[in-house]
Amino acid sequence: MTRAAVQPIEAEALVRCFDEIRAVDGIDIVVDKGEIFGFLGPNGAGKSTAVRVLTTLLKPTSGTARVAGYDVESQADKVREVIGVALQDAAIDPLMTGKELLRLQATLHGIPRRLAARRAKDLLERVGLTEAAPRLVGQYSGGMRRRLDLALALMNEPDVLFLDEPTTGLDPMSRRNLWEEVRRLNREYGTTVFLTTQYLEEADQLANRIAIIDHGKIVREGDPAALKKSVGSPTLRVDVADEQQAIAEQTLQAFGEERPSRVGRVSIGLEGGAERMADVVRALDEAGIVIEHMELDSPSLDDVFADATGRRLEGAADAEEPAE
Amino acid sequence: MTVDVAQRADTAGDRVDHHRPRPWSIVWRLTARSWLNLVRIPAATIPMVIMPLFFTVAFAGAFSALVLIPGYPTDNILSWMGPFAALQGAAFTGLGASFALGRDIEGGFYDRLLLSPASRLSIAGANVFFVLFRTVIPVAIVLLIGAIGGMDIPAGILAAVMLLLGAWGVAAIAALWGMGVTYRIQKQSAGGLVQVGVFIAMFLSIGMMPVDLMQGWLPHVAKYNPMTYIMELARQGFIGEVAWESTWPGLVSIACGVTFFAIFAWRMFQRVTP
Repeated sequence: MTRAAVQPIEAEALVRCFDEIRAVDGIDIVVDKGEIFGFLGPNGAGKSTAVRVLTTLLKPTSGTARVAGYDVESQADKVREVIGVALQDAAIDPLMTGKELLRLQATLHGIPRRLAARRAKDLLERVGLTEAAPRLVGQYSGGMRRRLDLALALMNEPDVLFLDEPTTGLDPMSRRNLWEEVRRLNREYGTTVFLTTQYLEEADQLANRIAIIDHGKIVREGDPAALKKSVGSPTLRVDVADEQQAIAEQTLQAFGEERPSRVGRVSIGLEGGAERMADVVRALDEAGIVIEHMELDSPSLDDVFADATGRRLEGAADAEEPAE
Repeated sequence: MTVDVAQRADTAGDRVDHHRPRPWSIVWRLTARSWLNLVRIPAATIPMVIMPLFFTVAFAGAFSALVLIPGYPTDNILSWMGPFAALQGAAFTGLGASFALGRDIEGGFYDRLLLSPASRLSIAGANVFFVLFRTVIPVAIVLLIGAIGGMDIPAGILAAVMLLLGAWGVAAIAALWGMGVTYRIQKQSAGGLVQVGVFIAMFLSIGMMPVDLMQGWLPHVAKYNPMTYIMELARQGFIGEVAWESTWPGLVSIACGVTFFAIFAWRMFQRVTP
């Protein structure tokens, strides 16, 4: 097999255990060149552990993984040459300036001084940190730190970029700016991106293909549109008073299969879609149920997650609360 | 300038030449970073200067009457306590490596280093290299105070060389021990355990009292404590001439200590990096 033909990321039956806990439990991944691959799952699902194995920070307990054609165990040095990584907590020394960190990163990758200076200048411009570069990173905002982390990850012009929850803790504006930068990177440079996230919208917005991970196992995989389509009917959510929840559930059973939901809300997959809304309202009214709130959504990744695991993704309910 | 370049034609085509980092450049860069951090944390810089000064003045003042004991090897307490204070300062410097490492591991910065293709030895070695640099400071401070306070230096410049050699040995051993423990525990709190080991080794040596004047079980421990011989190596030029018989046991102790703790640190390091 020629090097040009290898997949950027391939993992087969990958397992990583911590004592008795199987944090990553036999996952298979194939990421194509130039793809943004989203690894979606709740906290503790095994996303970060998988990234740490793929980036050589952890040894797999069993199974194999190759990045850019190099084995993560036996050719770890080669893997490190061709990857860029922005870890979950933006591991940046607050006592260094942005400029110093970029210089250090260049040295760590053996980039000659002149080339490093040129790349640092370009990257700082690209992430909008040129003016802030001489300042200590401790004075940066969360968004600035993430952008600097991204610039650091790009210093060696990686073939494969790993972004581990890159927007966690960022405000919506910073989050969107970072998304745009990732898209541009992928579009203009063809960089393959492996992105872990717990945000449905992030996966939906960025990824060409998604794997949903739960308890260390991949429970669904595919492109977002196909995954959502696989769920079938749209989700009808009806908020009712607690004492009416049981009867509401019973009434709505006639219109579709119940889907996981929070207390005080009944969710079903509405068979027949929007056309049956009038029937639903009539049935609820006849049953004497007072509707506090009602919404019909096309299937979302949260529905895909719920369909696969029987529960909603953490924080998804809050994120999906309609604006008042 | 020659650059070792690993040419690759792979998944990304021929877009980028990936360069192989040179170990020495990494050691220098990480050492420079450690200096910057030291300068930018006054809380770390002040003890580095104050402690050797304090140790020298306090020990020489509090134990000045020791020189009156018959058989005490010198009548100048600064000549006896000064080198001890310098080695204490060196040990503290070594411990600093453990705290800095713990901070990097806890803060995640160490992952950034491990994610690079830089050689693992250069990443770990940079800590020790920085410690050797930093050790010059307590030695210089003690010599300065000694010069001001009237310290005898019969061996002249050779005394200072031996003191620096001993200080480097102590600092390297303390750093490697501290790094090993910190790699194992992976927290800054490892520093507490590291300190205990270093202090026991320091105070159960001939730091304050020659072996012949010790009583009870202390002389037996001191005789088998390698720190005793490093202390003897470092101090000899301040209480007499530099002699080979006072030098080689110290050199052997340093070599053995550095080798033993380097193996320990390296084994623990392998636990944090595959």
